[in-house]
Amino acid sequence: MSNSFILRAADRGHETILSTGPTASYVGGHPDAFITRQSSFNFHDYQSGRAGFGRIRVFGDETFNNPGCSYNMHPHHNFIICAFVLSGRLQHINTTGNNDELLAGDYYAFSAGSGGLHTEINVHREPMNAIYLWMLPDHLYLPPSYVRGRFDAEASANRIKPLLGADAALPIPQDAKVSRLFSTKPGRHVYRPRSSGHGVYCFVIDGTLACDGTTLGSRDSKGIWNATEVVLETGDAPADALLVETIL
Amino acid sequence: MSDRDFKRWLCLGCGFSYDEALGLPEHGISPGTRWADIPDDWCCPDCGTPKHLFEMVEIPYAPGQPTPQRPPL
Repeated sequence: MSNSFILRAADRGHETILSTGPTASYVGGHPDAFITRQSSFNFHDYQSGRAGFGRIRVFGDETFNNPGCSYNMHPHHNFIICAFVLSGRLQHINTTGNNDELLAGDYYAFSAGSGGLHTEINVHREPMNAIYLWMLPDHLYLPPSYVRGRFDAEASANRIKPLLGADAALPIPQDAKVSRLFSTKPGRHVYRPRSSGHGVYCFVIDGTLACDGTTLGSRDSKGIWNATEVVLETGDAPADALLVETIL
Repeated sequence: MSDRDFKRWLCLGCGFSYDEALGLPEHGISPGTRWADIPDDWCCPDCGTPKHLFEMVEIPYAPGQPTPQRPPL
């Protein structure tokens, strides 16, 4: 018998972080820029949700508004920080020597390990929307690393496409895996976690699908564990979802 | 891991780690200082996250990094 939780879009933590006032050193783009962050799990001032799921600690749906909107250069250790750009353009700069512009469909995983800094900037007028995923690593103080990839929705449509982690082209130092399903037609897609000790967090980016019988709309999500498979059923309209599998 | 063993705590704001075995001598916390003995108003030296938003972790160190120590009997 599997277990699950359902998190509706409106029930996530909502924060607006200004580039003025007390958060001015944290968020750049003064004076008009601001970040909106919708958290699936506890993060910063939002502490009334779930603490996390498996090795996931942060799942943030964030929008950087107005040119120059950024998280200023700041330090990290240990966390594996991933961004999946959904719209707009993100400039990511880190101290492993990367300075990348990421467009919709692009993603990266920055493992901060023994220490690294990064900044995330939108220098354009168009808002930048990305999913930020943080996971605990399998070891502390690993050498910092960075990988980036691209999800080609057209080429990968109507199948569950691994993006990061086990079985994907891009490894991460954790027993976890991120996949994406972009569907354009009715279908039944079965996701099989590597063991019943792995959980799956399914987050709908856009559209509507049924996840193990639960209808999920845009930005709704469901976590499932003690399951040998997770069934995603799609309809005529396009649907887009991220699946994060993690050891529990 | 027994209650006696030194433990590690991770800052959920940035990933900074506190290891009871190592302390933070550069911040005036001696090796062997238990988490419970650090003041409640202590914050992450890297990002300012308050103490209560650290999580105890049992994640091993990467090769070449500090070897966990046991407290003296």
